Amino acid sequence: MELNGEQLIGAPIPEVWKGLNDIDVLAKSIPGCEEISRVSPEEIHAKVMFKIGPVRARFSGKLLLSDVVPDQSCSMAFEGSGGAAGFAKGKSRVELKQVDGGTLVAYTTEASIGGKLGQIGGRLISASAKKIADDFFQKFAKELGGEIVVLDSDPNVE
Amino acid sequence: MKAAAFDYIKPKALSDALSLLEQGGDDAQLIAGGQTLLATLNMRLSEPSILIDITDIDELKGISVVGDKLRIGALVTHTEIEDSDLVAKHAPLLKAAAPHIAHRAIRNLGTWGGSLAYGDPAAEWPACSLTLQATMVIHGPKGERKIAAQEFFIDLYTTSLEPDEILVATEIPLASSDQVFYFHELARRHGDYAVAGLAAVAQKKGNVLSNCIFTFFSVSSTPVMAAATQGIVNGKALNEQLIAQAVCTVREEIDAIADITNSAEAKTHLIGVLLERGLKHLIA
Repeated sequence: MELNGEQLIGAPIPEVWKGLNDIDVLAKSIPGCEEISRVSPEEIHAKVMFKIGPVRARFSGKLLLSDVVPDQSCSMAFEGSGGAAGFAKGKSRVELKQVDGGTLVAYTTEASIGGKLGQIGGRLISASAKKIADDFFQKFAKELGGEIVVLDSDPNVE
Repeated sequence: MKAAAFDYIKPKALSDALSLLEQGGDDAQLIAGGQTLLATLNMRLSEPSILIDITDIDELKGISVVGDKLRIGALVTHTEIEDSDLVAKHAPLLKAAAPHIAHRAIRNLGTWGGSLAYGDPAAEWPACSLTLQATMVIHGPKGERKIAAQEFFIDLYTTSLEPDEILVATEIPLASSDQVFYFHELARRHGDYAVAGLAAVAQKKGNVLSNCIFTFFSVSSTPVMAAATQGIVNGKALNEQLIAQAVCTVREEIDAIADITNSAEAKTHLIGVLLERGLKHLIA
C-alpha cells in the first residue's frame, strides 16, 4: 500500500520540525497513542490503540529515523505488531517546505500489512490509512496552535 | 477460530442497555445481528470484554407508519425490509436494494440499525438512508436526539453516534406518488461488496426529473451525494445531451478512492456508467 499526501500547517518550519520531533506533541497527535518513548535519538517506541471499523487492536511498534536534515526532511522505517490481529511495516519520507501561510508537509509512505488485518481489513486499508493520516495532522496542527489549512488536492492513496 | 472470552448480557429495556453501555465504556460492545461483529471477534480483530445483546428490546423493533414518516426500528432485519408491504409502498427504494445485501442467511440476521451504525462505505443502507433523507433517532444518557442522515455519516466507519448512545430507529418521509427510484450496484459476484453503487430517487413529470437525489456508495470513505449533478438534472427535459453532461459532471464531482482491487479511475468510470443507466431507468 502507498499513501502519499501533503498538508499545509499554519506554523513556521522550525516549529513544525520541533513538533514532529517532540514525543509529547506526537503522543497527543497520534490517534489512539497510549505510550511513547524515545529510546535513542533515532529510535522511538510506541503503543497505539488502533480503532477503526471492525478493528480494535493494540499495536506496539518502533520507529527508526534516518537521513535527518533538521528543518528539511527525514526518512523513517517503522514496524508494528498487533498480536493476533496482524502487523504492519514500512517506510516513510517526510519533507518540509516553507510556503505562504505556513509549512507544507509532504509525505510518502509505503507499507505492507499482514496477518488477519491484511486479509479481512484489506478492502478498506487504504481508506483507513488516509483517515489516520488526516486525523494525525489535524491533531498535530492543533497541538502547534495552528490551524490545518485545507488543500485542494487530497492525499492520494494506492 | 474462536473469539477471546467475553461477558454476555441481554437486557430487556432500552434504559438498561444504555446504562450497561455507559458502565462498560470502551470495553463494551453492542450486538444485534452480529453479521460483522461475530466474524471480527472470531478473528480477534477486536476483543471487547462485554457484549450487550440488544435483540430483546421491543423499542427497537418493527416497521410502522407514524404520521407522514415510515419508522424502521434498528432491529429490523434486511429480510424484514425486503418482505415488508409497508416498505414496498412507502420506501420502494429499500425493497429494491435489499436483495443486493450479501446473501439470504446474512439478511435473515443482519439489521438495519447495525448497518447504519457501522457505517461501512460499501454498505447499501447508509446510501439509501441518505437518498431517502432519513432521520436517525438516537437515545443516550441525555435522552433522545434526532439527526439527519446527511450529518450522521462523518467519515470511514465513523458516525455521529457517541459511544454511550444507541441508534433506536430511523424515520423516512413517505414516498410521493410521482417518486421514481433506481438502485444498482456493480460487484464481481452477487453478494460481494460493490465496486460502486448508486441509490437514486427523483420526482418524475413527463420527461422531467426534479428533486433528484443521487447517492453513490463504495467509492469514497462515506456514501456521497452528487449535488452538482443533481442540480444539472433537476427540472430539465432529460435527453441524451443532458445525460452526457450529467455523466461528465458526476465523474468530476466525486473524488473516488481506490480500494485493494479497484483503482480510483475504474471507480470514477463506473460512477458514470451507473448514473447513465440510472437516469435512463428513472425516465423510462
